[in-house]
Amino acid sequence: MKQRPQEQSAPKTGLARLMELAATRKPLVIASTLLAALAAIAAFVPYIAIYLLVRDLLQVYPAFSTLDMQRTLSLGWLAFGGILLNIILYFAALMCSHLAAFGTLYILKVRFASHLSKIPLGYHVLWGSGKLRKIMDENIEKIEGFIAHQLPDIVASLVAPIVMVVILLSVDWRMGAVAILGIVVAFAIQIKAYGNEGAKKMMDKYTVAMDDMNNAAVEYVRGITVVKAFGQTVFSLRRMHDAIRSYTKMVIPYTLSWENYMSAFMTIVNNIYLFVIPVGILIGLGATDYITYASTFLFYLIFVPSIATTMLKIMYVTSGGMQISGGVEKMDEILHTPALPQPSAPKRVTQHDVAFENVSFAYQNQNHDALSDVSFVAREGQITAIVGPSGGGKSTIAHLIPRFFDVTGGRVTVGGVDVRDMTSDYLMQKVSFVFQDVFLFKQTIMDNIRFGNQSATDAQVIAAAKAAQCDDFIQKLPQQYHTVIGTEGVHLSGGERQRIAIARAIVKDAPIIVLDEATAFSDPENEYLIQRAFEKLMKGKTVIMIAHRLSTVRSANQTLVIDQGRLVEQGTHEQLLANGGRYSALWQQYNQTLSWKMTRKEASANA
Amino acid sequence: MPKLQSMLLLTDKGYKDLKKAIFACTLTNLSFMFPYMVTIQLFTELIKPLMGGSLSFPRLWMLFALGVLAAILVFFASKNDYQKTYVTSYMEAENTRISVAEKIRRLPMSFFNTKDLSELTANIMADCSTTEHVLSHILPQLFANAISITLICVMLSLFDWRMSLAVFITLPLSVAVIFVSKRVQNKLSEKFVRAKLKASDQVQEYLEGIKVIKACGLDGEKFSALDKAMHLMMKMAIRLEFVTGTFVTGSQALLQAGVGLTVFVGAQLLTGGMIELIPLLMFLLIVVRIYGPILVEYTLLPELFHHMVSTRRMRKLMSTPIMEGDTTVPLKSWDITFENVSFRYNENDSDETMVINDLSVTFPANAITALVGPSGCGKSTISRLIARFWDVNAGSIKIGGVDVRSMDPEHLMRYMAFVFQDVVLFNDTVYNNIRIGNMNATEEQVLSAAKAARCDEFVRGMPNGYQSMLGENGHTLSGGERQRISIARALLKDAPIVLLDEATASLDPENEVYIQQAISQLIANKTVIVIAHRLRTVADADQIIVLNQGSLAEQGTHDALMQNEGLYRKLFDIQQESMGWSV
Repeated sequence: MKQRPQEQSAPKTGLARLMELAATRKPLVIASTLLAALAAIAAFVPYIAIYLLVRDLLQVYPAFSTLDMQRTLSLGWLAFGGILLNIILYFAALMCSHLAAFGTLYILKVRFASHLSKIPLGYHVLWGSGKLRKIMDENIEKIEGFIAHQLPDIVASLVAPIVMVVILLSVDWRMGAVAILGIVVAFAIQIKAYGNEGAKKMMDKYTVAMDDMNNAAVEYVRGITVVKAFGQTVFSLRRMHDAIRSYTKMVIPYTLSWENYMSAFMTIVNNIYLFVIPVGILIGLGATDYITYASTFLFYLIFVPSIATTMLKIMYVTSGGMQISGGVEKMDEILHTPALPQPSAPKRVTQHDVAFENVSFAYQNQNHDALSDVSFVAREGQITAIVGPSGGGKSTIAHLIPRFFDVTGGRVTVGGVDVRDMTSDYLMQKVSFVFQDVFLFKQTIMDNIRFGNQSATDAQVIAAAKAAQCDDFIQKLPQQYHTVIGTEGVHLSGGERQRIAIARAIVKDAPIIVLDEATAFSDPENEYLIQRAFEKLMKGKTVIMIAHRLSTVRSANQTLVIDQGRLVEQGTHEQLLANGGRYSALWQQYNQTLSWKMTRKEASANA
Repeated sequence: MPKLQSMLLLTDKGYKDLKKAIFACTLTNLSFMFPYMVTIQLFTELIKPLMGGSLSFPRLWMLFALGVLAAILVFFASKNDYQKTYVTSYMEAENTRISVAEKIRRLPMSFFNTKDLSELTANIMADCSTTEHVLSHILPQLFANAISITLICVMLSLFDWRMSLAVFITLPLSVAVIFVSKRVQNKLSEKFVRAKLKASDQVQEYLEGIKVIKACGLDGEKFSALDKAMHLMMKMAIRLEFVTGTFVTGSQALLQAGVGLTVFVGAQLLTGGMIELIPLLMFLLIVVRIYGPILVEYTLLPELFHHMVSTRRMRKLMSTPIMEGDTTVPLKSWDITFENVSFRYNENDSDETMVINDLSVTFPANAITALVGPSGCGKSTISRLIARFWDVNAGSIKIGGVDVRSMDPEHLMRYMAFVFQDVVLFNDTVYNNIRIGNMNATEEQVLSAAKAARCDEFVRGMPNGYQSMLGENGHTLSGGERQRISIARALLKDAPIVLLDEATASLDPENEVYIQQAISQLIANKTVIVIAHRLRTVADADQIIVLNQGSLAEQGTHDALMQNEGLYRKLFDIQQESMGWSV
């Protein structure tokens, strides 16, 4: 019943994928490449004009006064016209390519953002917003360079040599052929430089060294408090220093390995006339029509320097590299994450028991189960607590109820209906989830609370805020409920943000409440207020609560003890204590921590 | 020019090397003129028969040989230029990177305040790479082009000033177009940057808020705001590109109009008998190529300016003053006294209220002093001030009678060990992560510290024991395990003063037991300052300092404070009540 999106059947990578992306705005891309090709052809016109002029000059030599000024003038215009045409065509090509590029970026970003809202929320928890934001702000942006610049340039640098070869061969094939020989030699050097295995290995090494250095730097700065606290110098923080050193150590020979190739390439493209001269001389030895011979020879001498410009352009285009495709892969990885499947015949519920039936779950790319064969029922109007060591699977249970992920085995039901048979919107209306970390939008407090329920009146919002113990601190803000979060001078503490999140949930008034470790706060005053707020929120709901501090849930209707993905014990506080199992051990440890006091004397006695 | 040295943070040697690189690059550029000279000589030979002379083939062969010789020179010039440029830039970039890293270590913590550290690093490393790029790909070519174009311009003028005028007259005009258009471009570019920031903001809000957005069914509304922002960004980008492109294209066209002009002027002069054919041919040959390097300058110069602006962060970092002080003065006793200390994080922000306000207290040596108070009262700030992560704005902090400001921060650190809430771990082995506490410790000492801090329990369970790698920021460990490693570090350091942040509230009971045992080991026989969140744990402290909004509210032992019936009593009672709370 699971549908796989079509893209996944044959995902393209590398250049093929880039071309596919460029095709988003096909007509513009085609226009741009055509214009770029024409521009490349126009670039040769001035050389032709100069040649024609030289030929005219030789024909009238030395009686220059007989020169046809009209014709000379038009040759001047031709030369300038060629340049102008080259510039204008290239400009038009770039405009088309930029329109295509910006349009593509826009479409990609919209597609990406809308896909993000369709994939299971769990992925957002796993990936974190930073990674996704980097993809939208940086990786996708890089595609611009490919479509707007590289693509037209690649086409231009493919067309230019062809036209060049045609021109070279059409005037005098012998001189043309040797000039082409020069080009081939230059190309051969290029291919040798870029193509050999060593260069590729070096390129990989280079990327690794660069990444190493950047990672080491991030770690170094993040650890700056430790570095300072323990008096570490940069030299003793081996990794940072080594990474910088080994980058330099690798990059200098890497760069110098190109030294001879690059120098030879530069020398040849600037000296192609040296290939022409011997042939020119040999032809001259047997020439009968001197004027034709001399003007042809001169043509090649004038024309071949233009080869350098063209060849250098090709070099830059080819060395542009394929760094872009790496960024695209990251975007595709997320685009290929299947969207949360929606039921074809959605069901509704009238009752709000939450039940896990033999639920198993494993995170993507992990071979062990995060949950295995967990079954329990959380009754409406009751509080179900989940306790256990960290990393045991408590949060995973919480995440499966609002369908952040789909189970890999068994099923999760609400009011007897599988959560997969409800639309996401409907399920979201039924469940309020209070996270450990609270996100507030840069809007007024009123709006932020109202997110819970768009149709709530101001009075309802304020009532919820009061119930959530927010009213006191909100009244102290510059504009009370109309204070915009994130403006100068408005700083809410973690506890205050937490209470706003609770107010949101109160306004929402969903029948099922999931609380993820939301009660533990280090500051006693806030903790007290948050507890009051929770009491209001939980009244009459199906509550599922993850707790670290066992005392907070000792009067829960039932407590589930989760360890290593399994439900190991279940019952009320008293029952579990009487069991003498895992829970009672945890409870003992918990009480031991409560009675602990910091004293030097006792400590020295221990030591 | 020395300004350039400081702009790029070059060492003296690097600056000298840069000059060498520019010189080498200029030589290469000039060597590219050889082919033209040989070509002109060929022209001369080729038109000799037209004047009644005869074509001398041996002379042609000789010119060919000369050309080959010139080509070899070009090769060596390129090679020399290549070496000088790249080796210089990479060596200098290494120096910059190391001195930046070294500088970061010595900066006061205030520099890092409110900054996103990983973003800061990424930016600064990018700045180093930019400097590398400027040194290798921009500066040498920029200067060398300018020098060689000027030289060529002068040489051509010596040949024939009228023709050179025809070649170069369009240059100032085209430069003028660029300058005049700068304002329009800047304005548009500003608008674009604003649209981009707005879009970026929307992206952030959309991504971070997506849980809320979905939970509240706001997909549509938030999405349309994002869509609008991205659409605006696209429009601004297109507008900017179009206008900039038009001006750049216009100025290029204007510059290269010189080709037509040269042909026209040349023909006029020639028919008037005012110029020989050979010089004319030379100008024609050069005019189709001279604009290339000039256009390169057009792209290099803005690129340089752009990079200079973007590396401002790095220069700001390098010019931030470091904390200095005596590195030898020994501390003999560990009494810490605050005398009328006032402090706020942003010294220049007069609106910001003082985080610590005229505080005078003493932390006696060889005793436990607990800092308590409502959140935001300044507890954490006090421990940071003692460690001189920041300097006080007024008053003084003395340890054993020595003002901490007179001591070099690194020297001061030797006397202190920390256990803070956020534990930083390095992508290295468990063993090395603990050893950071004291690089001179023997293996035995490291292991015994690990045992005392109850690390042994979980390290033994790892695949390679103490040699297991932790991964980026030790993400494989739980919060409690991280805490224990940080305590092991502190134990290993064995410093006389221990600064402790007791924040174990969110840990599971098992972990907490271990941490409490580890802390007991750490504080034995030390001068201890503990930031306490759970008042019960510090009820036996020798002294409790109660803070409220940066000022001293109360001070004394637990019993005395309870009798006082003040803020402490109130906090204690609330906490007792919330500890007993159950759903």
